[in-house]
Amino acid sequence: MAFFSLLVLLVFNFSFELGGAALHEIGPGVLWSSFVFASLLGLSRSFADERENHSLDALLMAPGDRSAIYLGKMLGNLLFLLAVELISLPFFTLFFNLSPGWFLLPLLGVFFLGSACLSAAGTLFAAMSSNMRLRELLLPLLLLPMILPALISCVEATGLVLDNKWGEALYPHLKMLAVYATVFIALSLMLFEYAVEE
Amino acid sequence: MKNISTASKILSALVFVSMLVALGAVFLYVPMEKVMGDTQRIFYFHVPAAISAFVCFFLVFLGSVQYLRTRETRWDRLALCSAELGVMFGLIVLITGPLWAKPIWGVYWRWEPRLTSMLITFTIYVAYLMIRTHGTRSGQAPRLAAVLGIVAFANVPLVYYSVDLWAAEQQLHPPRNVGLAPEMRYTLWICFAAYALLLVQLLLRRLDLARVEEAVERLRQRRDELADY
Repeated sequence: MAFFSLLVLLVFNFSFELGGAALHEIGPGVLWSSFVFASLLGLSRSFADERENHSLDALLMAPGDRSAIYLGKMLGNLLFLLAVELISLPFFTLFFNLSPGWFLLPLLGVFFLGSACLSAAGTLFAAMSSNMRLRELLLPLLLLPMILPALISCVEATGLVLDNKWGEALYPHLKMLAVYATVFIALSLMLFEYAVEE
Repeated sequence: MKNISTASKILSALVFVSMLVALGAVFLYVPMEKVMGDTQRIFYFHVPAAISAFVCFFLVFLGSVQYLRTRETRWDRLALCSAELGVMFGLIVLITGPLWAKPIWGVYWRWEPRLTSMLITFTIYVAYLMIRTHGTRSGQAPRLAAVLGIVAFANVPLVYYSVDLWAAEQQLHPPRNVGLAPEMRYTLWICFAAYALLLVQLLLRRLDLARVEEAVERLRQRRDELADY
């Protein structure tokens, strides 16, 4: 996943001639596109093993609330995604000639909230698509339009942090991401049971 | 199979008459708008189509919730048919909008909040239909679609809020509470009524069709069972 997101960064670099002034224009978009594509890989893997070994059936038979399975999977995906982002960030700053500094610290907050949104919605859709035909094709088809509101705020917030502007302008975007993650986690906890039912 | 019922025939006639009245009102009765001229007349189709699309998306949500609660096929049928109609009305909005925008803004498309939100909402429901038709085996389709129908509807306000944040400074879409002359208001109400009738009639016909499809599917399964003996 991390290697894949690096490759996406490289592809964007060659397609847009990044660096310099262009960085602040499209840098955040490039970064988040690579994260979204990487998360698609990770999300479809997160239920692939369960399907191949039929271990999801065992999980479903276990006594207890099924939303616990969702929560576990979602936290797992979140941790993986955060790891990928932390690995990619140094390369991003290196490739795009960004001088590293403490101002990047709030970026971690944006990463955390954005990844929470991605994994909250992504885990539900991965569970749903794991039973479908053409699942590798359908997961992006489901996730991409649904994740757009969160993605808009992720890109905007990242841009603000890179421009060294935080405070007033940043706050509504962080709030938006928190609301999105909360809504999707709450919905998924209610609906997960129906998404995996055999 | 029973024939088209009398009620449906009457409704068809009503839709026909109301559409004629709406066309007459839009092209003959309502006065010319001072600044935009004839172009403004597309507004009387654009706005009712947008409202109809959102009514359909709400029906998808309603059908989905009720299906998960009761597991009755009729609710799933309602969700599927409303989603198709919602996408159709959404398409009308997305076509009439740019037609209006070209002479007024000089371009067909701008990444303006209302346009962007409508486009994102539209893609979500297209994805919903694609999942239904391509992704699922017959047994699980209604259940997964119901989950999706609920999530999709919950996402609509989030889309609107985030897009407003994203492009707050470039609000170009005419506001909702724009002052209208009385004739314009009457015309708009006539168009609303015509679209509401059209929506009801299309939905009822589509539901009938879905029932026939299900009956055919049952017959096909029965035939396969008999062929196995």
